[in-house]
Amino acid sequence: MLDAMCAGLGWLVPFEILQVRFMQQALLGLLLVSPMAAAMGVQVVNFRMAFFADAISHSAFAGVALGLILAVDPGWTMPLFGLGVGLAIMAMQRRSSLSSDTIIGVVFAAVMAFGLAIVSRDRGVARDLQRFLYGDILTITSQDLTALLVLFAGVAAFQVWSYNRLLYIGLSPALARAHRVKTVGYEYVFAGLLALVVMFSVWAVGVLLVTALLIVPAATARNFARSAGPMFWWALLVSVTSAVAGLVISAQDWAGTATGPTIVLCGVAWFGASQVTVRLRRRIRA
Amino acid sequence: MVGPNGAGKTTLLLALLGDVPYAGKIRMEAGARGRRLRMGYVPQRLAFDRGLPMTVMDFLTMGGQRRPLWLGTRRRLRGEAMELLEQVRADALADRLLGALSGGELQRVLLALALQQDPELLVLDEPSAGVDVQGGLIFCELLERLRRERGFTQLMVSHDLATVTHHATHVILINRVFVAEGPPRAVLTHDNLSAVFGLHMGLADARSMPNGQTACDCSTRPRGEP
Repeated sequence: MLDAMCAGLGWLVPFEILQVRFMQQALLGLLLVSPMAAAMGVQVVNFRMAFFADAISHSAFAGVALGLILAVDPGWTMPLFGLGVGLAIMAMQRRSSLSSDTIIGVVFAAVMAFGLAIVSRDRGVARDLQRFLYGDILTITSQDLTALLVLFAGVAAFQVWSYNRLLYIGLSPALARAHRVKTVGYEYVFAGLLALVVMFSVWAVGVLLVTALLIVPAATARNFARSAGPMFWWALLVSVTSAVAGLVISAQDWAGTATGPTIVLCGVAWFGASQVTVRLRRRIRA
Repeated sequence: MVGPNGAGKTTLLLALLGDVPYAGKIRMEAGARGRRLRMGYVPQRLAFDRGLPMTVMDFLTMGGQRRPLWLGTRRRLRGEAMELLEQVRADALADRLLGALSGGELQRVLLALALQQDPELLVLDEPSAGVDVQGGLIFCELLERLRRERGFTQLMVSHDLATVTHHATHVILINRVFVAEGPPRAVLTHDNLSAVFGLHMGLADARSMPNGQTACDCSTRPRGEP
């Protein structure tokens, strides 16, 4: 099925550079990652969970380190460790009287220090570190793509089933609870899925820029949209166009940049345009 | 429900809504057909993200359908939301952004959301706080009418003793502990009020108010209503 999808993409997007298999795989990967990140990002902004996402992405090092210690494929330990960290943060937030950013700060420090400590022991791994910092979508394997397809189906189903409820909870958890929305379940499932999306996004744009992939489309969407439905579509549009443009630009000879940062820069350009739009709209109304 | 600042009024409401952990027991009668009592909640001040692009219509339809708002809303649901807005005299606000509403407007939209639950118990936490006198008056009359039409029980926290004297059929006075309960005239006595508030609150007696005017006109309300 993956072969057919890649060939289809090569036919759909008739750029010369996209006739190579690894570029087709990269594009397919981005077309799966970017809408997921955008959709989850809308709620990350509503829930003010940017720091949470940041902590998860930085646990990538520790996840990989854990794989090395246990001699398990890091492709498994990384997402699973991220999932564990995400759920642990949620559980601690519910039980502790400390503020949520304090808890995240502590967990952040713990996973980061653990990861770096292991990595610093092993010179061989240190070389691999760059892949995590900047992302490496061009080396995505068909195995990764299969995992992405499964995750994509899960996130899509969750978004269709829960978008309205998540809006409700994001607006006011107390109001949602009083009106019989079971907030706890949604919060845990959201945190779990977000952790997985973040971990897979690390492949695409790197640890340092994952949060941008979540936040920038959502922030731009808030500027363009004037109600809650279109906000979702705007985020998708911004995210997917940035991803495709970023991939194509980064592969040009004159650019020669890393794919991840190029994608994020395209998103930031979108955001700039949205800021100008807001200004103009205000001036017209005034 | 009456009491000074820090008496625990809001906390008690939140316990009733199941939103804070508590010791002891809250006994609640089952609602219609033995189900859990349906409650509507109007918070004191809704602290929310005013930058969120959400219209009043979005706000009133998001709870009513599973289908995500980005796939459109059912027409019937929009009609129902419009009816609710008309009931709280906010039909002109349907397309406005939630973050752009004034205190009084937001209060009425929140009331519409609570009414959407078709509540058997409507819980309001100081609904007149942060609303000007005119707005408070409109809100007050609105509640009177809705309560008559729909026949729900209304549990309301209030600072305004004048409103309480003229609207409540039953008053609960608390100050960290339970102080007294009963009909307003039996509870809001000089002794009780000075014990709780530390000074005599002359407002408790309607006749002592300027022009005999109260915070809300309730001449239409039948006396002896349960």
